[in-house]
Amino acid sequence: MIWDKEKIKSVIPHREPFLFIDEITEIEGTQRVVAVKYVGQQESFFQGHFPGAPIMPGVLILEAMAQASIVLYSVCKPEIAQSNPKYYLSKSKVEFLSPVLPGDKLVLEINKVKVIDSAGVADAVATVGDRVVAKANLIFGIKIDTRIK
Amino acid sequence: MNSIEAEISKMVSDILEVEVEKLTPDVDFFTDLNVDSLKAIEIVAAFEKKYRIIIPEDDIPKIRNLGQLIDYTKTIKKSDA
Repeated sequence: MIWDKEKIKSVIPHREPFLFIDEITEIEGTQRVVAVKYVGQQESFFQGHFPGAPIMPGVLILEAMAQASIVLYSVCKPEIAQSNPKYYLSKSKVEFLSPVLPGDKLVLEINKVKVIDSAGVADAVATVGDRVVAKANLIFGIKIDTRIK
Repeated sequence: MNSIEAEISKMVSDILEVEVEKLTPDVDFFTDLNVDSLKAIEIVAAFEKKYRIIIPEDDIPKIRNLGQLIDYTKTIKKSDA
């Protein structure tokens, strides 16, 4: 582990129960970040998605990818990240390929396509073991002002 | 309009969801088409991928219309040659 959850919280604004990355296991320069989400047996979203047949919602896999992308942004633009900007997800192209179940170790690999001060583009791949469970291309925005317009 | 110009025009039109005919060389991306930083980076990322070039962050605000984007491509391609 390179970053624990406390270190992650120091650069991303999300908190439980809406924090979907537990640790960062790899950081390759400003190009690539690998994050892990340990999908617990008792995650709150499993109560309703679905009763008796728990599956992690695809939108939350996408959210986990987006949160890991913020970590990547923070290593690209540390000074801006330290100023606690607002992050928001814009256009996303995503494929969900396989279910994520309680007990899975969800690995999120984020590769930078382009990062500028106010926006970023990243390619993301989510895996469980050898299985690719989702792929995405994410475009996200960064707003230093406190209000998102 | 040559083939590269047509290609760039089509790419930008697809991303901005603006008809190619309306994307004249001097229509301003930011003031006329309301391009924000998210759309700008989408164009830049697509452009870099297609032409295998890097557009430095400082150059992005200087490319304000299709004509300037086409000129930028020509400059980069010339320096590659």
